Amino acid sequence: MSNFLFGRYLPGKSWVHQMSPQSKLMLSFYFVIVIFFANNVWTYASLSVLILIVVVMSGVSIGYFLKGIRPLIWLIIFTVLLQILFSSGGHVYWHFGPFSVSDTSLINGGYIFVRFLLIIMISTVLTLTTTPLAIADGVQTVLKPLKKVHFPVDTLALMLSIALRFVPTLMDEMETILNAQRSRGVDFGSGSLKHRIQAAVPLLVPLFTGAINHAENLSTAMEARGFTDSEHRSKYRVYRWQRKDTISWVAFLLVGVLVLFIRNN
Amino acid sequence: MKSLSLGFRKLRVVDIVVLGIFMSLLLILGRFTVGVQTWRLSFGFVVTAIAGLLYGPLWSSSIAALADIIGTLVSGNVYFPGFTLSAILGAAIYGYFFYGKEITWKRVIIAQLIIAVFVNAILNTYWLTILYKTPFLAYLPIRMIKEVVMTPIQMAIIYYVLNSQTLQNIQNKLFK
Repeated sequence: MSNFLFGRYLPGKSWVHQMSPQSKLMLSFYFVIVIFFANNVWTYASLSVLILIVVVMSGVSIGYFLKGIRPLIWLIIFTVLLQILFSSGGHVYWHFGPFSVSDTSLINGGYIFVRFLLIIMISTVLTLTTTPLAIADGVQTVLKPLKKVHFPVDTLALMLSIALRFVPTLMDEMETILNAQRSRGVDFGSGSLKHRIQAAVPLLVPLFTGAINHAENLSTAMEARGFTDSEHRSKYRVYRWQRKDTISWVAFLLVGVLVLFIRNN
Repeated sequence: MKSLSLGFRKLRVVDIVVLGIFMSLLLILGRFTVGVQTWRLSFGFVVTAIAGLLYGPLWSSSIAALADIIGTLVSGNVYFPGFTLSAILGAAIYGYFFYGKEITWKRVIIAQLIIAVFVNAILNTYWLTILYKTPFLAYLPIRMIKEVVMTPIQMAIIYYVLNSQTLQNIQNKLFK
């Protein structure tokens, strides 16, 4: 199966693995919101301690978290450098034209760096400890209140299940089309941007045709089995709220309150 | 099936499955990039444009939003609702300009220009500013340069794919 589906999830039985996906999802959003309120060394330290405890409780090696930082490394370096060179105030150590380095700019640069790490770490914890299907289930649960305003949550949940089911199938088909094109001498890995795009566009047509054929077959099969609506589907796996979720929420809420108290107003 | 309010058009079973498979293609093609380093083009926008053409702004923006949420969370990238809003707006713009309408160069250029300037350059840079406190005015020119290069390419691909005989056949198969 494709890297997309199982590439990042690491099976395990840790505390974090056993939490319900909707709880983990909401805790991640909540944590990112709390990060927005952090503005001094104590607030960032509290959040760093909390995330380190979560990392330890996930039972996943720190190396996996460092891998999560790698794709964003240039954005992090560029942002921290801009913050250091353009922030004003405090004791100036170095000055050249519009650039200056002061104690305030160094502290701000440090805060931005920690902010990046915290946001990446919480996202990585969620991905490494939750299967894509569980994440999809969590998203569906989180969206459920929208049913009150007649948002088609159940129909979209069914679409999402179909989407995840077909990712590996369509990935395989894309690989087959890529190989077929390569065997005809098409080179996707070299040449100018224009050349590469011209080579890639013809992939889309057979991919779409194949996808529509799958859709027709599946819809015929569903109708033949009496499918009429998406609102009364049963589930193979049911994720329930557990005591671990409640305890985790209490801990996160306490740290959130602490951050609000110790931040600079 | 119950009729849906909020303006969502009622779907047949085949429409639900097609939109599900479009979501799947969004997840796959969103990660299939062509180009080098910063000049990378992903083909997710083609799927969004086709969904907009076939099913209108509401359904296309709904699947774009879900694909953004799931794609981000599953791949371990940082999830931020602002980028989901960008995905919704991009798909809604395609749907508004293409749904039930003839695909002309004028339509494609206007739709893609709005997305490139307001969604990709301004909004997405602003989300980065909120999320990481990146300096907005320092990043905006870099992202604008990328849009200047990529937008004409995206326009050409959309015009070519949306007017292709294959898509006409797909439309005939699904709706006639």
